[in-house]
Amino acid sequence: MADMVTSPRRATIDPLKHSPALGGAMAFLGLHRTMPLVHGSQGCAAFAKSLLTRHFREPIPMQTTALTQVTTVLGGGGALAEALATITAEHTPAVIGLLTTGLTEVSGDDTATEVSQFAASHDGPDDPVVIHASTPDFKGGMQDGWAAATQAMVSTCAEPGPVVNGQVNILAGPALSPLDVEELRLLVEAFGLDAVVIPDLAGSLDGHLADRWSALTTGGTTVADLRRSGFSQATLATGSAVSRAAETLEKLCGVPALVYDRLSGLESVDALVSDLADISGRSVPRGVRRWRQRLADGLLDTHFVLGGVRVALALEPDLLLAVGSLMADVGAEIVTAVSPTRSRVLGRLPVPEVVVGDLADFEQRSADGGAELVIGSSHVGRVAEQLDVPHLRMGFPVYDRLAAQLRLGAGYRGSLSLLADAANCLLEHRGTRHGASLHVKGARAGDTCSAPFDSPGTPLPIPGETGSHVTKEVSSC
Amino acid sequence: MHADIPGLFDEPTCGHNRQKDSKERKKGCPAPKPGATAGGCAFDGAMITLVPITDAAHVVHGPIACCGNSWDGRGSLSSGPDIYKRGLTTDVGENDVIMGGEQKLYDTILEVAAGQAPAAIFVYSTCVTALIGDDMDAVCRAAAEATGLPVVPVHAAGFVGTKSLGNRLAGEALLEHVIGTQEPPASTPYDINLIGEYNVAGELWPVLEVLDRIGIRVVSKVSGDARFAEIAWAHRSRLTMVVCSKALLGMARKLEQRYGIPWFEGSFYGTRDMSQSIRTMVAMLGDPALAARAEQVIAEEEAALRISLAPYKASLAGRRAVLYTGGVKSWSIVSAMQDLGMEVVATGVKKSTEEDKQRIAQLLGPQARMIEKGSPEELLRITADTGADILVAGGRNQYTALKGRVPFLDINQERHHPYAGYSGMVQLARQLDLAISSPVWQQVRRPAPWERSDRELSDRAPGFVRRPGAPELQQHKDSQQHKDSQGGSGLTSLTASAPGGQSFQGGEDGREVA
Ligand code: SF4
Repeated sequence: MADMVTSPRRATIDPLKHSPALGGAMAFLGLHRTMPLVHGSQGCAAFAKSLLTRHFREPIPMQTTALTQVTTVLGGGGALAEALATITAEHTPAVIGLLTTGLTEVSGDDTATEVSQFAASHDGPDDPVVIHASTPDFKGGMQDGWAAATQAMVSTCAEPGPVVNGQVNILAGPALSPLDVEELRLLVEAFGLDAVVIPDLAGSLDGHLADRWSALTTGGTTVADLRRSGFSQATLATGSAVSRAAETLEKLCGVPALVYDRLSGLESVDALVSDLADISGRSVPRGVRRWRQRLADGLLDTHFVLGGVRVALALEPDLLLAVGSLMADVGAEIVTAVSPTRSRVLGRLPVPEVVVGDLADFEQRSADGGAELVIGSSHVGRVAEQLDVPHLRMGFPVYDRLAAQLRLGAGYRGSLSLLADAANCLLEHRGTRHGASLHVKGARAGDTCSAPFDSPGTPLPIPGETGSHVTKEVSSC
Repeated sequence: MHADIPGLFDEPTCGHNRQKDSKERKKGCPAPKPGATAGGCAFDGAMITLVPITDAAHVVHGPIACCGNSWDGRGSLSSGPDIYKRGLTTDVGENDVIMGGEQKLYDTILEVAAGQAPAAIFVYSTCVTALIGDDMDAVCRAAAEATGLPVVPVHAAGFVGTKSLGNRLAGEALLEHVIGTQEPPASTPYDINLIGEYNVAGELWPVLEVLDRIGIRVVSKVSGDARFAEIAWAHRSRLTMVVCSKALLGMARKLEQRYGIPWFEGSFYGTRDMSQSIRTMVAMLGDPALAARAEQVIAEEEAALRISLAPYKASLAGRRAVLYTGGVKSWSIVSAMQDLGMEVVATGVKKSTEEDKQRIAQLLGPQARMIEKGSPEELLRITADTGADILVAGGRNQYTALKGRVPFLDINQERHHPYAGYSGMVQLARQLDLAISSPVWQQVRRPAPWERSDRELSDRAPGFVRRPGAPELQQHKDSQQHKDSQGGSGLTSLTASAPGGQSFQGGEDGREVA
């Protein structure tokens, strides 16, 4: 449907794009006892670490091969070998997630050979698995890095083997928040299935207070999980960013892949739920049906607020498709959709054109289109201020609001939550002029997005931790 | 590489190098260790020093990692223009890497000049564009001609070294291209430069207000809330104060060599240091009337401060802190915390010179620990060993502390509170007090009731039947509370409640915990 357009401008002003290595690192952070290692000069790791820390409000494990001008010219292989050995000796990680940068890709280092040499000399049971993703800074953005890292995870670790019935893979894309990932796991488990989640940010970056500080990730997908992903009955790939990994699993281990471009909105979640019923041979559980009813009701309630509202979005491709489509589902008018990078899924957005560009493009087009609500990361805040419109924070990075990792957007419950958040964000901005009670039955008393989850008789089990997280969500915008 | 980097290391005012012989010195500081390195690159350092120039545009020539991952992350505030906050980059792609990025850089500079109307444009090289050999100087010259604006190349690609080398290279760029290129509208004998103060969280403003009352004019700032023009006329000042920055001492020295401007090192953190810096300033300016006014203002400020600090001092007295921060701040903050009656039991000396260390030893006494390698593990261990009440460090360590259940105060770049000057002291005291006495610590340090009863179970004779809420459990809870309230860090009480760490199994795996 949508064409991709770019502005003729040469300068990038207020970039929306982040480096692919950052996206790859974020994916690696969903693996258990892992250290992401950025192969480049030390600044690349430092910036990525600091931005991830600001977003998640968590300690972020990350190391660097700390190339200098001299080691770059001589070849970074020695520094890489030294870094792998040092990290192994100091932290004994289960996984080292290796990411290249512009520098190491330009200087022509043979990273793959270095990695196989290290693996050959470190093949003991306590030695780490090194997973290597190529993520040059000058090619693609965060989502591409995520794609490269997840593909490397399965191609490095997954083992072919006899099918284990009832076991399914969830390949989690970058459009999912850690809490979305947990939602999805619970949904799959509600069908009596055993979910192998790759990568599992709900286990590592969900913001939990572990018993002690650790230099590595304190949860997430284990290497054993990665290995057994080859035995699964099916792979559910959530977003285009993980479709390559799903294809790899299919090719390598014969696990059939089901790719869902988005998991927000009634019909798209319906597709997943029907597939789960087929895979498990069970009928859809009562709790799931109930949440579907709630979402259907929420669509009715929120369409009064969001219908016809001119929305401007600046997000990574998969998230742009998910949120943009959900807004279209409820009758909002999308005046502009800006993505930092190209992606084939952008063509599916229900808009005439998608802009591949920066926040200067976003500001211009939002103003021209008379946007009434902007949706994007904290970086978009300036645009919202200029236009004096409400700003729903989504995507990366969100550093001026708490609990970014707990914002829901996927599944029946997540879609409902996101719709309520968007509607409340608008209502809050309108303030008392229109009255908060305006048609919003779904938002109920208190008008916070957590209200729908507090309703009695929640059929999906929520672990105690989740409950407290929901209350941590302090703002609807 | 353009700037003479080995030349920069041959820097007599750099304490690190002063102690080395001349051959050693040329080599510069040791290379970072692969796999065990923290901290930013030279490009980051150059940006830290120059981005606070608020009416200038800062264009990053490189792929997206350098600008895309870092823009809008710096805490320097502006009282006027906000061009400095824009993230401007050439975002070089694969084609530019192959064909060279000079044309794209040129076009970018011209667009920025036209669209943002900056007073000047700083252009930063990065690893990839330095490696492919783009001639940034030529592009900047051509762009300056085309736009009529100063276009300043900053050669501090990340891989040439650390953040602090980047600070220095930024200073070099100012000396080479900016300082001395404009004349101030007026001059007085009370005009001074501040170097190394970045107006983080707006902390420079109250300091300027105090100096203004005395009659001291800060005419050039490198570079907190600075305008480009004021740096261009820094050569007309009568005095330079270097604020907590070893990296920019060389800049002050060169200002002295070239323009005869005397300089001194000082700090605005803490009552003693603030007053001391003012006294040095007026003494060096050599005007007795100014000195008299300074004494009067100091007396007023200190008296007012004594009153506002009194309640905080009462609750902070005797509290112990571990301080971990780079270089100069390690002694300037020590003195601020001692002014509040706190005891600094350990401090970081990784970036400190011998001179800094002697100063620290004098300030803290012989039993204080000096932390050479501040890995998170080490910081937590020292905090526990010393029974410290708080860890004071840069934002990087914030979550180390929190995950270790230790109160934390951020004193670096990204913080949100101004701590400099007299009013900054009150803010510092308030934030320290809030952190230490927060009610959250007691709650998060106590294990979940079932974990405690599980442990009790294993301690009991076989056959004991657990009854939740039974008096035994209650009693245990009380004794736990007692332990907590006896003070000490979270670690101490955590260890106390978990001998040998046995009772916290499964903690490595978040999912098991959940
Ligand atoms: S190390 Fe080099 S490539 Fe990385 S952020 Fe710094 S300048 Fe950019």
